[in-house]
Amino acid sequence: MATVTLYGVGPMDEATQSTRVIPGYPQTARRNPAVLHRRPLTRSELTGPREQAAKLALLGADIAGRGAGQAIGQLIHVRLKVVDEDGAPVGGTMVEMWQANAAGRYIHPNDDDHAPVDPHFYGAARVLTDESGAVEIRTVKPGAYPVPDSNHWWRPPHIHFSVWGKVWLSRLVTQMFFPGEPLNAPDRILNAVPDGAARESLVCRAAPTSEGPPNALVFEHRIVVRGRAATPAA
Amino acid sequence: MARLTPTAEMTTGPFFPPRYVDDGAHDLTQRNGRAARGERIALHGRVVEAGGAPMHNLVLELWQADAQGIFRDARDPRHADADPGFAGWGRAATDADGRYRFTTIKPGAYAMPDGRMRAPHVNVIVLFSGIMRHLQTVIFFEGEAGNETDPVLTAVEPAGLRPRLVARRDGDGYRFDIALRGDGETPFFQD
Repeated sequence: MATVTLYGVGPMDEATQSTRVIPGYPQTARRNPAVLHRRPLTRSELTGPREQAAKLALLGADIAGRGAGQAIGQLIHVRLKVVDEDGAPVGGTMVEMWQANAAGRYIHPNDDDHAPVDPHFYGAARVLTDESGAVEIRTVKPGAYPVPDSNHWWRPPHIHFSVWGKVWLSRLVTQMFFPGEPLNAPDRILNAVPDGAARESLVCRAAPTSEGPPNALVFEHRIVVRGRAATPAA
Repeated sequence: MARLTPTAEMTTGPFFPPRYVDDGAHDLTQRNGRAARGERIALHGRVVEAGGAPMHNLVLELWQADAQGIFRDARDPRHADADPGFAGWGRAATDADGRYRFTTIKPGAYAMPDGRMRAPHVNVIVLFSGIMRHLQTVIFFEGEAGNETDPVLTAVEPAGLRPRLVARRDGDGYRFDIALRGDGETPFFQD
């Protein structure tokens, strides 16, 4: 048989991960299991799909539009890097992102908020990372929006990311927040992560304007997916 | 090397783009224009939350071996012999009644390095509004003798819960219903 490179997924520090059932977010109490089972990890969970792009059409990294088709809002570039727990880049992996428009409205049948639809903004990109694990997405900064029937909870500006790591257990869907937003501190979802440093790692970094293109602000962000190449010797 | 902390997962929220459930992503039986080998089956069911309400637009993703029990991944020692017509991954969303449907092939059993066998199974990820961290479960198949000794299925305690992970023959395939919480709660795994 061929030699197989080991790649492992270990336990996580629960304080760095989201609480599953959140006060003030009633759906979480109905949709998360009361019991979670432990299992041995086998080849089945420690391998993973590579060819999602054969089933899911790539949508391009520029969703802000151009010319007469340009979206309304603050033009931004999001420089995202996907790495594993060793810091090794996850190259060639799929990244999906979706977000509200600059007024806080999603193009989705479930969003019946009164904020305006932007005819030039759909708000979804689907791209592959390069060999360094990087993607750069050109978009507009999303707006905040109120959560219906939530007693004045507003979601801060955020971008959803869906990524794949090297194995099945590396699958990750998360949200990226923006620095300096007053709605971050009271956000019930961001606050579901108990550890302060882990919460802070969900907030992107504003790059100096000197590092960006002449007409857009740049935000940098890193996503760490589960898994590492080898067990430490110690 | 210092270990980085994995990024915290967060819910998809209610606005996962409809265009992200591409036509054809629920069909695993083709790759590069070639048809997968093996027994073609429908894998379908209904997803409910606590209280029994059906989930609409909930997203399911699958990962499975081919009919010979080989994963399309270089970490599978037999990957050079993987079925060229099968990639092993798919995505589907539930309809307004909570129903999902995949078309796939029945996976093969395979031997672990220590000689124990994994019974035929399909790994499932559940993503949805209100689910803060993706849920992991596994579908096994009715009538497989290997179910009795599969190391993942037999890790579920008490043993009386194990039948909830076994899909039942139904029409042109197998039915696997999912209860996210409450009555008949599906066993999910924390790894």
